[in-house]
Amino acid sequence: MLTQIVTILIFVSIIGCILYGRRLIQTEKVDAVFGNPERAKGGTHWVIVGSAAILLVWLYYSWDIAKGFYPKSANELCQVAKINESLLGLKYQFPIEEREFKSTSIIKIENKNLKKITSEIENSKDLNSQQKTILVGFINKTKQLIPLLTDEDLIEIDTKIKIDEMTKEIRLLSSNFKKQDYPFETNDQKNDRLKAISEQGEWGIITVRSGTGSIENTIEVPFVAETAKGLKFQAAAEELKIINDKFFKLRNHNPQFKNSIKQLKDEVKAYRKNLNDSEEIASDYAKNIVKIARRIEFASIYPPNALNEMQNAIIEFDNLQESEQAGLRLIDILLFPAGTIVASGPSCSEQGSGRWLPKPSDTFNKFVLMSKPSVGYKNIPLLWIEMIDVSSIIGFILPDWIADILPGEYPVHTSEGIVKENFKGKVLKIVTGDFKLFKIPVPYGHIWDSFLRVFLGLVFGIIIGVPLGLFMGLNRFAKGFFDPLIELYRPVPPLAWAPLIISVLGIDNTGKVFLLFMVSLSIMIISARAGASGTQLSKIHAAHSLGASKRQILRHVIFPNSLPEILTGIRVAVGMCWGTLVAAEFLAGTTGIGFVENVAKKYFQYEVIWITIFIMGMLGLLFDVTLRKIIDKTIPWRGKG
Amino acid sequence: MKKIISFILGSLFALNLSISAANAAANEVRVAYFLEWPSPNLEDMQKKNFAKALGVPVKWTNFTNGGAMTDAMLAGDIDISYSQGLVPFINAVKSNAPIKLVDIAMEYGMGGTTCVTSNASGITKANATELEGKKVAVPLGTMAEYVFDESMKVVGADRSKMDIIQMDPEEGAAALVSGDVVMACLFGGNSIKAAVAVGSRLLTVDEARAAGILGIDITSVTDKFMKENPGMLRTFIEVTHEANDRYRAGKSDMNAMSKASEMKVADMKETLSGFKFLTPEETKQSMESGNLDAFLKGMGTPGGNVDTSFLPL
Repeated sequence: MLTQIVTILIFVSIIGCILYGRRLIQTEKVDAVFGNPERAKGGTHWVIVGSAAILLVWLYYSWDIAKGFYPKSANELCQVAKINESLLGLKYQFPIEEREFKSTSIIKIENKNLKKITSEIENSKDLNSQQKTILVGFINKTKQLIPLLTDEDLIEIDTKIKIDEMTKEIRLLSSNFKKQDYPFETNDQKNDRLKAISEQGEWGIITVRSGTGSIENTIEVPFVAETAKGLKFQAAAEELKIINDKFFKLRNHNPQFKNSIKQLKDEVKAYRKNLNDSEEIASDYAKNIVKIARRIEFASIYPPNALNEMQNAIIEFDNLQESEQAGLRLIDILLFPAGTIVASGPSCSEQGSGRWLPKPSDTFNKFVLMSKPSVGYKNIPLLWIEMIDVSSIIGFILPDWIADILPGEYPVHTSEGIVKENFKGKVLKIVTGDFKLFKIPVPYGHIWDSFLRVFLGLVFGIIIGVPLGLFMGLNRFAKGFFDPLIELYRPVPPLAWAPLIISVLGIDNTGKVFLLFMVSLSIMIISARAGASGTQLSKIHAAHSLGASKRQILRHVIFPNSLPEILTGIRVAVGMCWGTLVAAEFLAGTTGIGFVENVAKKYFQYEVIWITIFIMGMLGLLFDVTLRKIIDKTIPWRGKG
Repeated sequence: MKKIISFILGSLFALNLSISAANAAANEVRVAYFLEWPSPNLEDMQKKNFAKALGVPVKWTNFTNGGAMTDAMLAGDIDISYSQGLVPFINAVKSNAPIKLVDIAMEYGMGGTTCVTSNASGITKANATELEGKKVAVPLGTMAEYVFDESMKVVGADRSKMDIIQMDPEEGAAALVSGDVVMACLFGGNSIKAAVAVGSRLLTVDEARAAGILGIDITSVTDKFMKENPGMLRTFIEVTHEANDRYRAGKSDMNAMSKASEMKVADMKETLSGFKFLTPEETKQSMESGNLDAFLKGMGTPGGNVDTSFLPL
């Protein structure tokens, strides 16, 4: 329902905005010439069109529009897919979807293979002429097997009858298929089916496994036919499957062929037996010739006209089922772009863009589900708050050795088994956070962890990078001393460091934050340095002549002048940090957005993968918007000088 | 405006076509396999016997894990996956991937896939409940995860209370060495060697066997290829079983196999000694009512994804 409304809204808004945009062009008084940035100002309506177009493409290629407007279409297409699955083997025998008969192409391939092996044998230096004659003799015999199969006169009556029977069965199915009430379902069958339908659920349901709270992939497409049209196709598919199996059990082996191939096999066997170890090459060739003969034996090769009737019957049925699909066919083509529903054994699934591009509605539902702190992902919520005692924070900040360096000993239990607390013990309790204070809410979860890692990496990078960069821009020693170090590690893609850092600093936050620190540090240094050395000399001179001290010049001239560069550097660093973080979380971790995506990939949970992608996009955007606000606030003069 | 609309429609149309026609009828068979995971039929691969037997060129592509094999099969780049792990296959069919299990590549005792606890942690089979609340490295969605689950049942530790870290074997081994995790579940000769240097197996190979922990690698095939070329599939499996026969008879060309699997002959022989290559009869039994069947049922796999009709019986 929601999808329908959204789709219609999108169309309305796109058309409305385009009309508005065109009218605006006509009514607006344009003073600005081409090239004047004024012309790019405004245009919220185009933003709406842009976002709506993205959403529309998503809705369309994830087949959500199909699901919204024709919720039963997947189930019906599943039944059609069952027919295709049953017919596939038979169809491949004929030039229906292929260019030639399967028999023809097999004969072509095998003749080519025989020719190849003949020329190999004739040109071989390891075979003597006697061996060559014998082997070529085998090849000729193999070649002669083919006409035995393709001769119209040799085909057995029995085989013919069986082919006729199957043809008749297909014809009968065709005539039944046209009837309204096919497959003549009895009441019991109907009740069974209705029961199965009520159990199977709807297209694209998500279930949460109770207890563990993990989200499972469930049935994508309901399997049992729900509509009258679907039922027809389901029943026909079952009948076709039987015919198909029958056909592939059938072998066009007439007595002459059986004799010839048996003779050939025996001869080769006897020949190979008499060969000694030094003649292994000849033996191998003989073996390969028999393999070709066996391929001919098991391929369904028939005389050119023997299956004509059957082919016609299949084409007739195929056309019939296509015309019976009627509107469904149109839905399949128009609303299931880049793929369709495919039946495979006991299930139907979406194959094509619908598989890897989950529906916005499903994604949204799953996101809502995952956002619940009780579900989350792998028992950890995406973002939630936890009540944490302030004492543990104090314990974390204060180093434990404070207690160790105090004079005295830690308490020892007495002979009565009583432990008496002393001052040193009490201090230890405080520095380890083993006491109760008041509780404050602290956020936690996958999103928070990722966010915190990026934030810490960035902050450390700024704290160290900016002063160092300024220093390098102003001092010859600093520039010369640090330059080799920075220039050596900066061009290395940050991810190249990841495996090393993770094995040195461990898989916990330390390693990841350090990696992000490395990423942001080089960027911050470079931008601060560029800012410092780019300060206009006249401004410094002016400050000097007004009697400013070194510190004042740095604080009031150089720093503000390099701020635009620094803030741009931060924006670049945020982007780089995100990219690196996700990959670092891929490598190892128990929390974080990258971890969620990595695990989801292992279980083919495409919705979760997309959710993580959106979360990352949103967080990145949030960072960027915040920074833009900061930039506008702190350096309003930027871009105006 | 007209131009823009026709351009958009045109490119939409082209996109629709290009995705659906990704795997048109092929004149070659594309097979996925693993390096450092030797099997007798790699000799045939090396000597191009498969191409001779199938009558069309056979292109072999190596992969690093079974999940990637599934991805490639779904994208239409691979027709047959040889020695895909059973767990990745189960994950794939649970998400309704149109692939089928047609043969067992090999069964193996868990010598090649195992959980190793670090000596520093002092955790052994006897006090394994101490694992609860600690960090363990597991490559999720692989056979190693299955071994982990089963081992935890054997030693009576609760998986849900552990801090499970998703790590591929090489990283898991490194994390065990650095002390970041107290246990790592891994596969592959080199990783296990590195892990055992600082730890010991939670369950020995014999204990794992006694507990019925068994690894199975399979041959899986796309539905499309199975329907389109049943003859080729049958031949592929037949050649594989011929190679297994040859190996059982001790007539395999070890040098060709080691070259194909990119291992030293001695290392390869050691790995092979843990593998059991089944006869077609044993395979059928295992698929219908034996180890494989029990495994699939134990993992709650939807039925109808196993096909024994291609075995050379």
